[in-house]
Amino acid sequence: MQAALALPILAVCAKAGAAEVGEIGISTLGYKERGLMRVIEPVLWGRAQIAEVWEVQASAAVDIITGASPELVTNVSGRPVQSITGASVVDHRTTGDIKVTRRFGDLALSASHAQSNEEDYHSKAYGLEGRVDLDRKRTTLTAGLGHSDDHVGSSIDPTLDAARRTNEYLFGVTQVLSPLAVVQSSLAVSRGKGWYNDPYKLTLTFYPDQAIPVLAGDRRPDHRDTVSWLTRLRRHFPQANGTLQADYRYFRDDWGIRAHTLEVAWQQDVGERFAVRPALRYYTQGAADFYSPVVPRPQPEILSSDQRLGAFGGLSPSLRVTARLEGGLVVEATAGYVVDSRSLRLGGGGSEAFETLRAAYGLVSVSHTF
Amino acid sequence: MTRMRMAIALAAMAAAAAGGCAPVAPYQRGYLARPDMALEESAGTAKALEKTFAAKEAASGGGSVGGGGCGCN
Repeated sequence: MQAALALPILAVCAKAGAAEVGEIGISTLGYKERGLMRVIEPVLWGRAQIAEVWEVQASAAVDIITGASPELVTNVSGRPVQSITGASVVDHRTTGDIKVTRRFGDLALSASHAQSNEEDYHSKAYGLEGRVDLDRKRTTLTAGLGHSDDHVGSSIDPTLDAARRTNEYLFGVTQVLSPLAVVQSSLAVSRGKGWYNDPYKLTLTFYPDQAIPVLAGDRRPDHRDTVSWLTRLRRHFPQANGTLQADYRYFRDDWGIRAHTLEVAWQQDVGERFAVRPALRYYTQGAADFYSPVVPRPQPEILSSDQRLGAFGGLSPSLRVTARLEGGLVVEATAGYVVDSRSLRLGGGGSEAFETLRAAYGLVSVSHTF
Repeated sequence: MTRMRMAIALAAMAAAAAGGCAPVAPYQRGYLARPDMALEESAGTAKALEKTFAAKEAASGGGSVGGGGCGCN
């Protein structure tokens, strides 16, 4: 997963001259899927401006994951379905990152490092980013390089220790359109090589004319090249005391996956101190070329029945309430619901074996600016 | 086809940067500095929600580099 390390460029520019020089916050996410996983994730983060030209930001988080995980897709009942293991999964993930930025007039250079550790997955990532403000900060150009070095293990196969290396490239433009509107568009390209198989996913297929079923492990290509094009728009409406927030992302990779993500939100001020933010996120993706819920004959070398590689769509409405209290204290509470299903795929054609996923989440955060 | 889409993406970004924008003086930036005009959410919110969706979808990323990965099974 890409952690969100980039600060809002405009916010940095706007706040640089203000008295505010730092922020510290803590948030906790509670996420529960119907019949499957539960996740609790506390996150601690902070940022500080030092001597006007340096900025340091860092975060640390722990994921506590419990529940059941779908490990097997089988057609024993006649059609392929996910089989949920009765065993409860318990996993802990710790992650942290730091980013240091130095400004040289209109130029800012950043270096970042992130780590993530689980029992069966270890990731180290590094990033370099340059930003330059043009035209009296109406335009900001961003370029970045990233590298991640991951190691995949397995709690059911202690011998597995496989590497995956990814290089990332980013180019972005942020443009102030008017005193009320700003847009950012960024293109991120990644080139990955190594182990992408999921050691916990299996496909069990019964054939009508064959007594013995075929059991196939998850086998994916040993490379993955992706392109993400993300565009964000913010437009404030002073008469309504509200702000339109719209994000669109187009994603494609060389596994054959094409995905679109659109999130639209409206943040409405309620009095001086409160705001409410209803939002709706829509996601749709096509299947990977090698996705199949059954083992075809002849059996291909590359095959996965992981439904996250299938064709589906998802809707996620959410509501956030923000309270800005005395002394720079900000309290936010977000409640959201997620439904992923084959029928929500844009244009139809969702994968028949996709099991509808329903989940709810709540997120509470408290931050203090100083 | 891929190259063409990449070219369209770059052209759109260049067009956004190039023109069609009203002049904005420094004293006119009050609204742009509002927290709800930030292009990215607070670190705690952004990280938690991004991982939640990335664990269930094939697509991820787009706004930054060097974030690393997770098992997300």
